Amino acid sequence: MNINKGNILEKLNPADCFTLAMDEEIRRDGLAGSQCGLVLELSNCPDITALQQRISEFSQRFPVAQASLQQIGRHFYWCKRDAPPPLFFQHHCPNDGNGVDFQQATIARLMNHKQARETTPPIEFHLLTGTTRNAFVIRWIHPFCDARGADLILKFLCTADDAQRQQFGLPATAPLVNVQLGKYRWWQKINLLLKGKRYITKLDSLQSIQPFANGQPPQRLNYSVQRLSVAQTEQVNKLARQYVGLTGTSLYYIGCLMRALEKLQPDNPGEAYCAPYAFNLRKQRALSPMIGNHVCALFAQAPRSMVKDRQQLFGHLKQQNTQVIRQQLDYAFLPLMWAGSWLSLAEYGKTLRLSYGSGKERSSFWFSDIGQLNLLADSFPGAEITGLFHTCQVTAPPALALLCCIYQSQLTLSYNFVEPISTPEEIGKLHQLMLAELLGETQ
Amino acid sequence: MKKKLRDFIFQELVFVTDPKRFGDDDDLLEAGLDSMGIMRLIMFIENEHGVTLPDTEIEPDNVRSLNALEHWILRHKKE
Repeated sequence: MNINKGNILEKLNPADCFTLAMDEEIRRDGLAGSQCGLVLELSNCPDITALQQRISEFSQRFPVAQASLQQIGRHFYWCKRDAPPPLFFQHHCPNDGNGVDFQQATIARLMNHKQARETTPPIEFHLLTGTTRNAFVIRWIHPFCDARGADLILKFLCTADDAQRQQFGLPATAPLVNVQLGKYRWWQKINLLLKGKRYITKLDSLQSIQPFANGQPPQRLNYSVQRLSVAQTEQVNKLARQYVGLTGTSLYYIGCLMRALEKLQPDNPGEAYCAPYAFNLRKQRALSPMIGNHVCALFAQAPRSMVKDRQQLFGHLKQQNTQVIRQQLDYAFLPLMWAGSWLSLAEYGKTLRLSYGSGKERSSFWFSDIGQLNLLADSFPGAEITGLFHTCQVTAPPALALLCCIYQSQLTLSYNFVEPISTPEEIGKLHQLMLAELLGETQ
Repeated sequence: MKKKLRDFIFQELVFVTDPKRFGDDDDLLEAGLDSMGIMRLIMFIENEHGVTLPDTEIEPDNVRSLNALEHWILRHKKE
């Protein structure tokens, strides 16, 4: 492709660059880069013509969907391609095949597909059909959009009314990271940057526990999806409210995972569990921005001694979260992300991943909670949505990402793990421990 | 007080098509006010009104609507 400035569609914003640095880190670990997936389980084969029409409309409205990621000078840009890549693919389970295995294997294959960054399509839509199972997969690379953006793209595809579809992506705004940064004067930005630096230095005073460290090289991502019943989900919500209050459901999931991991591998070295998680800068229910990343990062950290005591752990996580917001440390990552976007990807990735003190991995696991998905089951063209989950690639270490969402009053936990550092059997044991924690069956 | 709350909520936290038509008793939680939004809202109220809202009182009935928020703040302003 001919790189010239006339081909530029859009410059990556600081939050996009943050995810691009992680894409580089995942690739350096020998994995496929920052592939993410949103999977819809469908009751039957959908209306393919309607689906294709809406995907085509989406790509016309948002041409970055078929762009190529290119480095020009120090910065990265979405650039026009000479030949736009196809967006829609169909996969059919052979008549004598097992639908469950076919779906799992196809999604895993899509998530592990390796391709040079410049030629990787920003987003693809895959329809998996068969006699027993049907699924629709949106696969994207993280610099293209965040999970909320993918949720908006899905809602776009699920909107039958033409006029209502036109409302998506409006009002057009600058990247929200830049909008938020623009609210600060230069000295306030410096102040925030220093706050952020001190915050991370403090986190780094405790060495993070790595849940899976068997010394084996990473080979491929695998995933396991566990769906709680409506009654179990109600119980989890009740306990989350009781332990961390109305403001911290995600913290309840994080705390439960810390405790489950500690029970799974109590002898792993390290002093604390540390989990990065993103929060969204979009207004709730907003239909824009669709494309790009509009997030900032936070950390939940708990020393091992506290993880052993349920009451103490949740009290600590709640207080930590309150303090972070009270001291505006949640926004302190914004100037850090802006500064990071000037570094090389290798330098930036190292800064993001490695503890200042020990030089070891900072994250014990990756975490994302997209909350309740307000999507009507009958809104997908020609098929009912029976289930929904996310997948994502993750660096190794920590080789584990937990992605949570609630659809139709059921909490869904998607464990994404890197083999052979972890195995499906180990993740099965981890989920049993996690379930007991979520349901309050432990002390 | 309600105007400042309204402005903050609809400029920073929740998208509604027409904020002017959002009533003082309409449900903010149903409109999309989430846990992170509630945290930010509480910080805004504490800074703006010089009150401390106890963690134990962060419950749906106190944050459900603009009127509920106002009552909650006023209760603590009197203390």
